[in-house]
Amino acid sequence: MSGPLQPAARCHAVRVRSDRSQAPAAAPGLWTEDVPVPATDPLAERRREAELARPAQDIRRVLLRYADGVADLIVVAPRDRWDRTALGRLTAGDSVAPRTDHDASDAPATPPAPAPAWGLADGGPTVPHLFSLTDGGDEATWLAALAVTLRRYDPESTPVIGTDHGSLTVEEAPTLGELRPSPAEGPALVGLLFDEAEVPGAYVPCLAPPFPLTVSVFKDTDGWRLRCDHLGTHVSTQMAAQFTQHLVRVHQHILSAPQTRVHDVELLDEAERDRVAALGRPPRRLVTTQLSLPEAFARITAATPHRIALTDGGAGLTYRELDERATLLAHGLRERGVESGDRVGVCLERTAELVVSLLAVLKTGAAYVPVDPAYPADRIAHTARDAGLGVVITRLPEFPDVPGCVPVTPDDLLDATPKLRDTVTLPTVAPETAAYVIYTSGSTGRPKGVEVPHRNVVALIDATRDEYGLGGSDVWTWFHSSAFDFSVWEIWGCLLTGGRLVVVPYFVSREPDSFRDLLLSEKVTVLSQTPSAFGQLLALDHTRVGVRLVVFGGEPLDARMLLPWFDRHPESVCRVVNMFGITETTVHVTEQTLTRKLALAATRSVGHALPGWHLYVTDDAGRLLPPGVAGEICVGGAGVALGYLGQAELTLRRFVPDPFTGGVMYRSGDLGRLRPDGRLEHLGRIDSQVKIRGFRIELDEIRTVLLEDPDVRTAAVTVRRDDPADAATAGIHAYVVLAGGDPSTIRKRAAGILPDHMLPATITALDALPLTANGKLDTARLPAPVTPVAPTRDAAPATDDDLTDRLLEIWTEVLGRPVGLDDDFFELGGNSLFAVRIGAALRARGLPSLRLRELYRHPTIRETARSLTSSNS
Amino acid sequence: MRLHGKSVLVTGAARGLGRAAAVACATEGADLTLLDICADLPGVPYPLGTPGQLEHTAALCREAGAAVLTTTADIRDLRAVREAVTRAEDRFGRIDVAVNNAGIAAPSGKPVHEIDEDEWSLMIDVDLSGAWRVIREVGKAMSARRAGSIVNVASTAGLVGYRHFAAYVAAKHAVVGLTKAAALDYAPTKVRVNAVCPGSVRDDAGAEGRMLAEIARALEVPVHEHEKTFTEAQPMNALIEPEDVAAAIVFLASDESRQITGSVLTVDGGFSIR
Repeated sequence: MSGPLQPAARCHAVRVRSDRSQAPAAAPGLWTEDVPVPATDPLAERRREAELARPAQDIRRVLLRYADGVADLIVVAPRDRWDRTALGRLTAGDSVAPRTDHDASDAPATPPAPAPAWGLADGGPTVPHLFSLTDGGDEATWLAALAVTLRRYDPESTPVIGTDHGSLTVEEAPTLGELRPSPAEGPALVGLLFDEAEVPGAYVPCLAPPFPLTVSVFKDTDGWRLRCDHLGTHVSTQMAAQFTQHLVRVHQHILSAPQTRVHDVELLDEAERDRVAALGRPPRRLVTTQLSLPEAFARITAATPHRIALTDGGAGLTYRELDERATLLAHGLRERGVESGDRVGVCLERTAELVVSLLAVLKTGAAYVPVDPAYPADRIAHTARDAGLGVVITRLPEFPDVPGCVPVTPDDLLDATPKLRDTVTLPTVAPETAAYVIYTSGSTGRPKGVEVPHRNVVALIDATRDEYGLGGSDVWTWFHSSAFDFSVWEIWGCLLTGGRLVVVPYFVSREPDSFRDLLLSEKVTVLSQTPSAFGQLLALDHTRVGVRLVVFGGEPLDARMLLPWFDRHPESVCRVVNMFGITETTVHVTEQTLTRKLALAATRSVGHALPGWHLYVTDDAGRLLPPGVAGEICVGGAGVALGYLGQAELTLRRFVPDPFTGGVMYRSGDLGRLRPDGRLEHLGRIDSQVKIRGFRIELDEIRTVLLEDPDVRTAAVTVRRDDPADAATAGIHAYVVLAGGDPSTIRKRAAGILPDHMLPATITALDALPLTANGKLDTARLPAPVTPVAPTRDAAPATDDDLTDRLLEIWTEVLGRPVGLDDDFFELGGNSLFAVRIGAALRARGLPSLRLRELYRHPTIRETARSLTSSNS
Repeated sequence: MRLHGKSVLVTGAARGLGRAAAVACATEGADLTLLDICADLPGVPYPLGTPGQLEHTAALCREAGAAVLTTTADIRDLRAVREAVTRAEDRFGRIDVAVNNAGIAAPSGKPVHEIDEDEWSLMIDVDLSGAWRVIREVGKAMSARRAGSIVNVASTAGLVGYRHFAAYVAAKHAVVGLTKAAALDYAPTKVRVNAVCPGSVRDDAGAEGRMLAEIARALEVPVHEHEKTFTEAQPMNALIEPEDVAAAIVFLASDESRQITGSVLTVDGGFSIR
């Protein structure tokens, strides 16, 4: 038992109903109360509940006599001294001596279990859940069922189950029947109170949960019952109910089919699977037409031929002009032999000409393959080779030499066209053919090309047009490299809804103040940004920016960064939407409108799927996971790409059958959880979890803690190895952009929240975090961690305090430099490894050991000595 | 319900402000321990609460849904207070809120040099020391649980002087001082201590209160004239109703005021502004 417990958690209670005439007479030790309403009155119900929730030091017997002649006898007592059988005898009026061999009131304190992520705790009200069971099993079967269910909910932790007689765990075993409990240590999240004594009356096994999630199995007049009590700070009411249902299901498996392999147990039955699958589909339905991009563009052009489609510096192109130029260029491509189904490289700076070229490629029935001219030559060459490009439209003077690939300039293509215009017609383009191939870098290996068909892009625009009121009066920025699929959203989102697309030249996109000025001068209304880039904009005066819609994409958003934005741009004036997306599912997947309130709450929700898109969260066996439980995000529906170009095997592995729609779904490799309302929480890449000295660490979690510090504007967390060959030298290093304060104060505050193994070894302050060409954090360009070095001083003179002298000696030895009594350990170059050595040296000299956390809090010798002295006394 | 599941002790609960406070707490979901002397006190020139009145308060609370424990005790007697608190803790497991309402307003009505030793001591013993005794008996357990709220009913006489009420004014000023000092003592353990300073509360037939009448009698003026004087002295131009004071007590008892301690909340229609 994790004690000492609150009195309510130690007590259990029973209620026995009787006729008033048969009720016990007033007696010493019996509190008799007349309740001025009938037993069925809500007020009477409230009174019963109040008595059944009221703890007792010893035994409390209360007789409630209702106005209709019915009476309830309620007996409350501490469970460890009067067990369930004793409680039954107490209701009969017997006197029962307390057990004295097992008094939980003086059990040693153990730290409470932390709230599990899947608990989705909201601190809200708690409601006990009560189930009837057909078979109660025994304590061992329930322990096994709890362990199996807990492992499914959180595969990373070892389940520790608290009971009235100590903590237990259940080792993994091949089949359900082989699962056996064994003693365990550590805080228990879940507890089991099992009792098979049959005692009449309505039983309340605990008045408050002794464990954050307490499962009680007992027998009353109506047979076996299971009751689940929970703490609102650890598990929400909804998640407690869901967990209990799964627990009961697993337990039935254990009783009825013990030979079942543990791995094969299904948590969800068919009805729940359908329900969870439906949860990942958005409330709005998609209405889309089967069109190719050129057809969709032609419709807009026909409707508003003279409206400006594109602004590039001083120049503008109307929809008709854009269409005509693209047609000319398309003829030039046809003359170069480009056919439907081909792929054409486009390697141009972000200019109006690039949009013309993209549209031209699409008009030929080929797919465009954008290549950023700023990329290194070998990456450009890899793309050209991998995509099998025959023609690349580029103005690069030295396009890398790739066999079979011919670089041409737009001028070359236009020169050729007049003679052809009458003889060659442009083909009809099928919406299901590829419109573009965009290369994603991926965390490992070479970039791979994702083939996305026309219909997906049209569906994306259809899924968002009405909701965001996208139309002819909108002015969009085109900020992102055409090689980054956020640009697909910017370009086609604008041009297929009749808006005006403002080209943001590369240098403007790198200079936040120039970009801000462009937003003002062009009267931009729709702004798409990565959170990192938007953060730079927020650092400037953005009061006069007049956008009405901000769309985030490309990387995780820390919602709190938006507070300064909401201060100046109320939600009623500008809508802010975070879209989680994946190239393989056509730019965006989900949408979450953010509010000031959500920003304050630092929401991690990325919202519901877009209409036509749907979400599943699955375990490593591909089974649907229930809401709350983290697993791999899979995306099905209208956005799923055709696959990886030329990588059939990888395509088969990642683009798998969607068991619920018969279509294809994409396994993203991203970690997420579905909330009970169908919103998705994105938890980072599955492989962004790192292991350091045996601890599994989620770097995003550390980053989140740093961002909670009011002095931290943005933060990045990385793992570096001092010696690349030696995993033991791996350390966590944080980089922060400060709004105030300094790294040492931030380190101290972080030490109050993060466990030792998650504390960054160094925190380096930067003026700005380096960004990639796509506006995402560029980890490769983070500088080496700075270990601030204090000026060398003379070693402190020996003092008359023995402990201080020994500390001085140890620090000087470990740090290899003179140390003063008030020098900051970390400023002297100290890190966690040095801290471990100091700890070892202290132990070797028979001194009290020093935890890293203590060193964070007391980073000087003087403070350490004081802390060691006081904790010792 | 703002006091759902809380166990509240109210002293002087037989009638008047104590009754109003008890019923208001019951309506907000609290369970109640009602304490009253239920006897007259030699030296106090008017009758105090009776067992019947205390039972009536209990019945009103039960109708509002509360579990109720009634207990008779003289708050001048530390042992009696301790026994009452122990009984309440046995019945309800703990005391979350203590409302120190019991008090007397007379003997009064004379200049300070005419008050005799017994009169002075009686006033201090009931109005000041009585509150201290209750705090003393409930404070330790509250501190140990790191939760609890103590509400002392003082008076505008705890803020300003009243002619010919020296002992009462001294005692109520002292209650305000006690509130502040106790608030500091308990702040580290999250137990809150606050005072409510009612102005002139209407004698309410329903609550059987009679403070105003007794004060008028002590001053030898007709009640209606006294009422008029006080109504005019309170800028909002009305007497305070017992429910107004009870609402302030409920607020200070509830977690809504979780960051409020050592404060003095006046409910006096603006009397003490000037």
